[in-house]
Parts: sequence; structure tokens; C-alpha cells
Amino acid sequence: MLPWFKSRIHHWKFLCDFFVKTNQWLSSERLSKSNFVLLQLMNMLQQTLRLLWRDWVLEWRTRYALSGILLYVFATIVLVYSALIDIQPQVWNALFWIIILFAAISAIVKSFVQESQQRQLYYYSLVHPLALLIAKMIYNTTLLFILSLLSWLVLGLLTGNPVKDTGLFVLAIFLGSVGLSIAFTFISAISAKAQNSATLMAVLGFPVIIPILLILVKIGANALRLMQDTAIGGDILILVAINLVLLSVSILLYPFLWRD
Amino acid sequence: MQRLIRQHWWKALGVLILLYVFIAGMLIPLKPGITVVNPSSTRTGTELVVEVEGYNTNFDQAEDTLRMWLKMDNDRSLAATNIEVLGPTRAQAEFRIPEYLPSDQKVQDFALIIDNPIDGASVRPNAVLVTQDSIDQEMGEETWQNDPLTNLHEREGITFPFRNILGETIRNTYFHVSLWLAMMIIFIAAVVYSIKHLRTLNLEYDYWASALTAVGLLLGGLGLLTGGIWAQYTWGTFWSWDIKQFTTLIALLIYLAYFVLRRAFPDEAQQARISAVYNIFAFVALIPLIYVLPRLTDSLHPGNGGNPALGGEDLDNTMRMVFYPAVIGWTLIGSWIASIMYRTSKIEESLLDQWED
Repeated sequence: MLPWFKSRIHHWKFLCDFFVKTNQWLSSERLSKSNFVLLQLMNMLQQTLRLLWRDWVLEWRTRYALSGILLYVFATIVLVYSALIDIQPQVWNALFWIIILFAAISAIVKSFVQESQQRQLYYYSLVHPLALLIAKMIYNTTLLFILSLLSWLVLGLLTGNPVKDTGLFVLAIFLGSVGLSIAFTFISAISAKAQNSATLMAVLGFPVIIPILLILVKIGANALRLMQDTAIGGDILILVAINLVLLSVSILLYPFLWRD
Repeated sequence: MQRLIRQHWWKALGVLILLYVFIAGMLIPLKPGITVVNPSSTRTGTELVVEVEGYNTNFDQAEDTLRMWLKMDNDRSLAATNIEVLGPTRAQAEFRIPEYLPSDQKVQDFALIIDNPIDGASVRPNAVLVTQDSIDQEMGEETWQNDPLTNLHEREGITFPFRNILGETIRNTYFHVSLWLAMMIIFIAAVVYSIKHLRTLNLEYDYWASALTAVGLLLGGLGLLTGGIWAQYTWGTFWSWDIKQFTTLIALLIYLAYFVLRRAFPDEAQQARISAVYNIFAFVALIPLIYVLPRLTDSLHPGNGGNPALGGEDLDNTMRMVFYPAVIGWTLIGSWIASIMYRTSKIEESLLDQWED
């Protein structure tokens, strides 16, 4: 365990070297250990925010995800509406999460895949890889959250709003966005390394997010009052736990992934 | 490890243990039990004549020593007034159900207990439901004539427990549950090797990880198959989208994706590193799938919703004597297969090197 840990520390130090050099006023003698860690965290936070901002600017210039997904939601609803005419709450619940699932895939698949290998190399020489991963995750979460709320709005306008417990449903959407973003961002980082990434992303991603989806459908059914479950708090906690576990595993494993 | 995979004792041990498991698990008889009680409901104040069908019983040899009770709770039971033996597994018994029961429930359930010196005692819970015409608990307690259960016999010899519905399929514990435990052990070993590979970037660890994952997938597939065969006899269909079957299928899909991922990289070092990363990620995603989600929803699977499963009376000491060796046996055989796969990967590698030279 110890040599591995040391090599991790070395890895951190190596990455921080860059920032130490840029901050000339901090000579290595004056740099105490706590200062060092603090500096590192500050840098990472700053980098994360910068990258987040960059992603948003990119999205805002093209509005690729937003317009594409809205079109997709609209097409799905029109199709289902013309086939079923009367959409029952049960079907509504399933339909909503299916839309969110596919919206998540098409929105998140490009987070790592869209960048060319050379540009990724450029990023990694500039920023800490974890900052990149976390920035992508936060960006995807907010994007997916906004997309989900928009789909809910569009779906509600076209079919009526069957949601009885709005707070619970918003919570489900939020936790779902977090979970789907974490899982898919990491899977996207894996599949970006291969040639036909989109197919690989679907193959790797679907089984992994099934637990999250199962709990989401259950919480959704509760919010629609299709079923009454007094222990829904437990389900929410389990969802939070799954999200946290996936997040920590992603953070632990990402340093092994980005290098080539 | 290098020395161990060239030794044979543990492979022979695995084969011997599995032979023992197959012989003992298939041949040891089941304890006598009660399969049919007809009619299964009656009213108070009647003479109840029930036809009882036993399993693995010897009513004809027991004859006069055969005794039966309807048991209401731990203190109260009714003895049969007359018993007629119709065959080794069939008998008819008469009970006099009193006018009032010492119970405040409209419908009271009785367990049927059969005892004789040859078969020992066997129980069928909720065998007879008695509907009370009018409820008077005090009156019932006053007029109750208690026939306590006395001198119950134990069957001699080694047997597996008899459980309603399960019947002979209880033997599937050795060919389904143990396969799953062995699969989990093998998957954990695969994750350990993946972590080792990430720490050292040594390709040999990656060969181990992929070989062990393949074996785990094989054991999981076999477990799903034996579970399906078992479900055919107890649930009525091979596949019923029960939550356990569903999550298991997804778990196997996660590991199938692992092999799809491996094929996607031409470069061996990259393939090894990224599939190690995915293997750890998949294992973490597997835990909620197999151990958390099935407990949240209703399931027909033993261990859920009051169905019998491991522990308590359902896995008695005789079954443990076969069950734990089964886990060890499957794990050893799995490791053997994995070690062969590991050696083939090494040979392939050296052949490739030769060819390139």
C-alpha cells in the first residue's frame, strides 16, 4: 500500500510543479506542506471553474445539446401521443425516464469524445486531470438537470402534468442527473480511448446505470402517486449512496485513465 | 502463484469435492413431509375428514403408531380421533372441530403435524383454515379440550429438510447458491488483480484479471441457468422478470461489456490498463445491483418476502456439510480453468513475440 501511496503523492507533486513554477514568489523553501496542499486545491478549484465556464461558452455558441434534445423530446412525445392518444400516468413515468436516459446519452457522449486526442493532451499539460473530470461532471449535471426540467415542461404542456409531489419529483430529477452524469462521464472517458466510441459508450453505459434508473422509476412512481411507499426516504438515500460511490471510484480511477 | 499453478493437488481436491457434492447432494433423501391436505378449510362444530398425502413417508409400516394433530398455537392442539391408512403415502384422519375456538379471529389457521416412529414428525403450516360461525374467545377457552403433542419422534439417518413448494428442488442450493458465492469470490480476485495491474502495469496481472473475469462470467451464467431450471419447477416459468433474475442479467451484461471493451483496443498495454479501470468500476456498480436493489422490491426468490433461504431452519447442518464444500469446490475448479486461460495467454504472447522476431 505504502509505495503505491507514495507514487500517488509523487504524481500530485509532479502536477503541481507547474503551478509552483508559475508562482515565483513561493520558493520551494518557503512552501510548507499545508500551504502546498491548499495551493493545490485552490488551483484545482480555479481550473475546474475555468473549464466549466469554457464548456458553457462552447454550448452557448452552438446550442447543439439544448436544441437537439428539445427536438428529440418533441419528436418522441408527438410519436407516442399519436400512437397512444391518451397517455396514462404509468406510461408518462416510463416515457419521461426514457427521454431523460437518451437525452443523457446524446448530451454526455460528446464530453470526452468530441475533443481530439491532441487537444486532450494539451489540456492535460495545462490542468490537473481531475479538474477536467470534475468540470465535465458538473457541466453535464447542470446541463442534464436543465434538459430534464425542459422535457418535463414540454411533456407537461402536451400531455398534462400528472406529477402530484413536485418536490419529490424535482429531487428525483436532480439526483438522477447527478448519477447519470457521473456514470456516463466516466464511461465516456473510457470509450473516448477506443475507435467506435458511440457504440462502446452504449454497451458499457447501459448496464451500469440500470440500478440508478430502477430507483428513479420507483421514486417517480411515488411522486406521481402511482404507489405509496413510506420508505421512499431509504430509496433516496440509496440513490445518493450509489452516486457517491460511483463518484469516488471515478475520481480514484481517472488518474490511470487519462495518460497514454 | 507460479509454483501453485503447476501443482496438481488442489485441482484433484476440487474434482474430489465436486464429486462428493454431486453424490451427496443428489443421493441423500429428503425428510418425510406433507404435500397435500384435502380439504384445506372447514367450519367450526364439524367433523373434519382430511385426506393427507405424504412425501417419502411409510404410513403403511407405521399403522397404529401413526398419530396426527391439528396445532393452533404452541399450547393448543387437537388430536385426530380416528386415522385410516390408505397406503405408504396416503392416509385419512378425522378431527372434531369444537363449536367455539379460543381465538378472536374469524378465520383461524391450523398446522397439521404427523408423527410415527419410522418417519419422525413432519409439519405442514397453514394446512387447515377454520372459519368461525360466531366468535366467542372466552367460551372457546372454557370448552377447549387440549391434546398436547407428546413423544414426537426423530427420523434416524442423514436427510435434507423438507420444505413446502421447494420439495426436491432444495438440492439446487448446491448447484445455484454455491455457484453464485464462487462467482463472487472469483470476481473479487479479478478486481484484486486489476488493482495490482494498475499499480505495477505488469501485463501478467492483466492476464489473470481477464481469465478470472471470464470464469466468473461462466459461473454466473451457469448459476442463472440452474436458477432458471429451478424456477421452471417452483415458479412455473423459466424466466419471469423477477427482480433477482433481472438484476443478475444486468450484472452479467456488465461483465460481457468488459470483453467487448477489451476487443476495442489494438494496443495491448492500453487494452490492459483501460479494461482494468473498467473492471473495478463495473465491480463497484455490481454491488448495489446484486445486494441492494433486490432487497428493495418484492421478489419470489427465496430470501425475499418471507420465502425460505439460507439461514434459520432452511439450511440445516446436513445441508451445510454439502453446501460449504460446494462453494470451495466450484471456486477451485474455477481457479483451475482461470489458470489454464492465463497460461494460454502467456503462450500466445510468447508466440507473438517469436513471430515478430
